[in-house]
Amino acid sequence: MANSTAQVEQYNYDIVRKFTIMALVWGVLGMTAGLYIGSELAWPLLNFDIPQITFGRLRPVHTTLVIFGFGGSALFATSYYIVQRTCQTRLFSDGMATFTFWGWQISVGVAAISYMMGYTQAREYAEMVWPIDILIAVTWVAYLVIYVMTLRKRSQPHIYVANWFFIAFILATAILHIFNNLAVPISLFSLTSYSLQAGVQDAMTQWWYGHNAVGFFLTAAFLGMMYYFVPKQAGRPVYSYRLSIIHFWALVFLYMWVGAHHLHWTALPDWTSTLAATFSILLLMPSWGGMINGIMTLSGAWDKLRTDPVIRFLIVALSFYGMSTFEGPLMSLKSVNALSHYTDWTIGHVHSGALGWVAMITFGSLYHLIPRLWETRMYSNKLIYLHFWLATIGIVIYISAMWVAGIGQGLMLRAFDQYGNLAYTFIETVNFLHEPYVARALGGLFFVLGIIVMTFNTFMTIRQGRREQALLEAKLAAKLAQA
Amino acid sequence: MSKEKKQQAVQTTGHAWDGDLQEFNNPLPTWWLWAFYGTVIFAIVYWVLFPAWPVGKSYTKGVLNDITYTTPAGKQVTSHWNTRALYLEEMEKARAEHAAYMEQLQSASLAEIANNEELSAFAYSMAKVLFADDCAACHQAGANGVIGSYPNLLDDDWLWGGTYDQIHASIANGHNGFMPAFSKTLNSAQMDDVAEYVISLSGSDVNPQKAEIGSNIFNGETGGCYYCHDKGGVGRISQGAANLTDSIWTIADVPGQATLEGKKAVVKRVIANGVNRKMPAWKNRLNDTEVKILTFYVHELGGGN
Repeated sequence: MANSTAQVEQYNYDIVRKFTIMALVWGVLGMTAGLYIGSELAWPLLNFDIPQITFGRLRPVHTTLVIFGFGGSALFATSYYIVQRTCQTRLFSDGMATFTFWGWQISVGVAAISYMMGYTQAREYAEMVWPIDILIAVTWVAYLVIYVMTLRKRSQPHIYVANWFFIAFILATAILHIFNNLAVPISLFSLTSYSLQAGVQDAMTQWWYGHNAVGFFLTAAFLGMMYYFVPKQAGRPVYSYRLSIIHFWALVFLYMWVGAHHLHWTALPDWTSTLAATFSILLLMPSWGGMINGIMTLSGAWDKLRTDPVIRFLIVALSFYGMSTFEGPLMSLKSVNALSHYTDWTIGHVHSGALGWVAMITFGSLYHLIPRLWETRMYSNKLIYLHFWLATIGIVIYISAMWVAGIGQGLMLRAFDQYGNLAYTFIETVNFLHEPYVARALGGLFFVLGIIVMTFNTFMTIRQGRREQALLEAKLAAKLAQA
Repeated sequence: MSKEKKQQAVQTTGHAWDGDLQEFNNPLPTWWLWAFYGTVIFAIVYWVLFPAWPVGKSYTKGVLNDITYTTPAGKQVTSHWNTRALYLEEMEKARAEHAAYMEQLQSASLAEIANNEELSAFAYSMAKVLFADDCAACHQAGANGVIGSYPNLLDDDWLWGGTYDQIHASIANGHNGFMPAFSKTLNSAQMDDVAEYVISLSGSDVNPQKAEIGSNIFNGETGGCYYCHDKGGVGRISQGAANLTDSIWTIADVPGQATLEGKKAVVKRVIANGVNRKMPAWKNRLNDTEVKILTFYVHELGGGN
């Protein structure tokens, strides 16, 4: 920390700090919204007959705030930090970086409010109405320009692996966002629009977007985060450069094909379904490449698991990444999908990825980042341990409940009696879901408490950093006065 | 120390970023590589078996050619694997499984169904699904109805009669449940008295003078209630008029009221506002056998007569 003052001038940390704080703000709001809608499913009374807070409207609020608000802001923060440090250069443009900050925050905030008011495009994870889509597109292009131009003016001969993943993520997200949101507004003064595609082509486009949002936004980008913070925190080199190259290209090539596995057993042609299923299977090992590289990097630093709570977040994140990228290809097989689709197994799978991988790797990375951004130590190590256990226990309860709910309901829906008639009515399967839903809400509560603990810890850390800074300046002033 | 550094320098790619970020150049793990080849072989086998790759305006059909079904024109077709054919094949199998029973059900009378243990078990199992699809929306999944709106089918109280023929007629033709509103015909005090009388019929402890006045209105020409509910309120099935003496309530939520005042109030509200309900006719939506087994099912639910 001796040369920290010089670093502050060398790099734009201000933008990283802003995005870090917003990641926590959206995280708390988005996860609380998730807890609430999960509770609504267990106790429908909580809808209170108020349209704005019914499940249908709050659900996109939850997904948008956690994916784009929490995850997106964390990615902006870490990618801006990593690109500057690994290229040893300042961001290409501070002004444009500030523009991406406001563009992104306004998009997320306005989107959440518009859903509660009932404005939606009704495309999953792309519910934003067309004016917000345009703002996002402009913001994203600015992000791409900053990133590419910063890489071009690097003072390092080679581009570090984390940056490959970030650039793939930024490029793919731009393409996905723009093509999935091609729509014709019914008038310039209306928020309603019609999609350019129709029927099964439209569904196909939506799920090409939907699954690659998982692939590039929630996987590739967070692998970029992993490739910087895991070796940094472990203090060891990345396990295999060769593996990182092979699994990077395999991952970005294969992901683009698999979206149609969200549409098995529908009007989608059978050959499209087959390709999506098989490419999902092919994706298993390239996905695991990232997990192997991460875990093998940590191996040799296992003793740190006892002393460093940040390493714990990272190792649990990698484990859940491995588990959910195994579960995903399995569920994309047509025969498994016939059981799992339209049940809570899907919800469980998404959350083992979203809570276990995305959120845990983010928490670990931010715990590494925050003390460096505010030039101090974390306020409390004990609270990091507390957060770790709350989050880990919460995830385990959550996904176990969803396995029971999903596989249970799936089996009930396909059960026949001895005469070949359906054994259960639909409402009987809904009644069955109540208990798993209560357990899921409990798991969600643990996870929300965890991020609240983290936010408190961060707040106290920032306060402590400012005080130390003020003390340092006072001492310096005193010394200068003496001299 | 220097030796260790040397070893590391051989193993890494030789670049360093941000101070200490380096990369080893370990080879790909063998098990990882072979597992990847394994998934490639899996995918190729899948492509050979199932429809997979688009070619021009068609696609590769796959070598699995084992789905057989009958077209609506009656022609038997064997096709490559595809979801549409699979659906037709499975539905055909299910129909074949049901065929023997369905044939018997078509000709059997309801009494015959009830007396044949196996046939009645089949009818019950199939009607349960029909009930869930078509009836549960109003009568509820457990057939316990919604007081005030939809009759409970579990008890042995039948507005339109509980014999096989009566239930069959109700399902096939539907019903209009109607009682006129009396708020214009009777004044408030008169309606209070009628309510007092109606409550007394099922054994509530009421004011005998008021109930006497109410009885005169009910069973006389002032109210004319007896036209439908019959003298003494025992009900009349041909009108779908409720029996008011049996403590079973369909419209007024009498059991839900804690106090006598509350019970009278809910009865008075029905007298004032009347009743207007409709059950649709099912004979054009379901086939004869389906209406028949639903009749059997509803009869089984609650003390059919």
